[in-house]
Amino acid sequence: MTEGQTTANQPQDDQEEGAVLTVEHLVKQYPQAQSPVLNDISFQVPKGKVFVVLGPSGSGKSTLLRTIAGLEPIQGGRILLDGQEVETGHPLGKHSGGPGGLMSGSRSSDLRTRIGMVFQSYDLFPNRTVLDNVTLAPILVQKRKRDQARQEALELLDRVGLADRRDAWPSQLSGGQRQRVAICRALILHPEIMLFDEVTAALDPEMVREVLQVILELADQGLTMMIVTHEMAFARGIADHIVLLDGGVLVEQSDDPEAFFTHPATDRAQRFLSTFTYERRREQDQDQKS
Amino acid sequence: MHGVEVLFQPGVMPRLFQGLWVTVWIAGVSVLLSLPLGLVVGWLMTRRNRLIRFLMRIYLDFIRIMPQLALLFIAFYGLSRAWNLNLDATGACLLVFVLWGGAELGDLVRGALESIPCTQVESAYVLGLSSWQTFSRIILPQALRRLLPASVNLATRIVKTTSLAALLGVIEVIKVGQQIIDANRFAYPQATLWIYGVIFFMYFFICWPLSLVARHLEKRWAHD
Repeated sequence: MTEGQTTANQPQDDQEEGAVLTVEHLVKQYPQAQSPVLNDISFQVPKGKVFVVLGPSGSGKSTLLRTIAGLEPIQGGRILLDGQEVETGHPLGKHSGGPGGLMSGSRSSDLRTRIGMVFQSYDLFPNRTVLDNVTLAPILVQKRKRDQARQEALELLDRVGLADRRDAWPSQLSGGQRQRVAICRALILHPEIMLFDEVTAALDPEMVREVLQVILELADQGLTMMIVTHEMAFARGIADHIVLLDGGVLVEQSDDPEAFFTHPATDRAQRFLSTFTYERRREQDQDQKS
Repeated sequence: MHGVEVLFQPGVMPRLFQGLWVTVWIAGVSVLLSLPLGLVVGWLMTRRNRLIRFLMRIYLDFIRIMPQLALLFIAFYGLSRAWNLNLDATGACLLVFVLWGGAELGDLVRGALESIPCTQVESAYVLGLSSWQTFSRIILPQALRRLLPASVNLATRIVKTTSLAALLGVIEVIKVGQQIIDANRFAYPQATLWIYGVIFFMYFFICWPLSLVARHLEKRWAHD
């Protein structure tokens, strides 16, 4: 990299401070689409911090997480994990396959275990018990000893309050329980960063808290996380860093979640936040008065 | 009740059981060989390669549209005329039933594989599983379970269709029955009912356990 570029790339400097994830000028475009889904996205997730992505539906939030997890090829920019390049963009061309063209496996198994991801639809393996769901990857991919993997799985399940359901089948669990198992399944691989993709969006309101509580505890333990969510109160409570994505562009980035929620810098963020609750409007009014 | 004595004539039941054994042998070998073929065909049909999918489509449609009897005649008479490939009658039956079972099972396998949500593949991917591990540990076990009822149905259809082998001169259970009836035409004119009745139950007791096994397995794997 030449010197001129180094100065142009802001993120490069911050890398010394220990960014777990660095995304530079990421562009994502689907083959038949007119305009990119994600356009020139750059940000960093520092170690031990919680990075929250907000945005209206269709803004590209989930796509962003999917590109980081390696589920979608990117057409521009690059993704770095611990300062090491894991993905670079290739413009659309003959080689960029159709939908789901990822499984040819451009990323090594080892690399994939370093990024944990939890999906909206939990996606436990229905043909395996709770415990087997959690121990499958450590045994198969990381070649860990069966006993050791089981022991750690039980500890994790205990932490999320599900140790007694270890032998249950996923179909016997509630949505919130399944999602907590899915979190354990990702955690047992000791990923450097966890990606949460609207993990409570498919849950009954009553089950949302039990899942978010687990994520809050993980944040307290210093796990690096990137969270896409529609739960504003949760975002406000957990975020160290918050960004607003709209139309595939980062319209606002903030290191101060409170400020973001009370005094959003951009019009777009203001409009986005005003779509939520009346209470939040009232807070804004009061803030303006005081 | 007359005519029932024909069943107790020396050699009648043993001969029927011999015929039944031929039926079971042809059906069993056909089913066993069509299993791997069907899995491979079904897997190929889910590939994204257009040429492979096109070839599989032709194979499947050809086998399905042709009556099994026509396929049997092609395999038995046609191949020997055209390329001097002389299959014996049993060999021709096996060839046709394996190709047929493989095609039908392949289509079932394709449907079952495609019915597994792609989010299963994605969550296996982010956990670091290789594509083979994902297929063998996650996708295939779920697909097999969904496949089971339809494939047992296919197996019973193969068992029943083996009766066509009689038309190529294979001495299977139907053919044996006809021979016994012919031989006893004057002594026991009512033999037809009894002989075919016995054959009916023979087929029943082959196919019934299949569906029992299927039901048992389905129950054991019922946590989907």
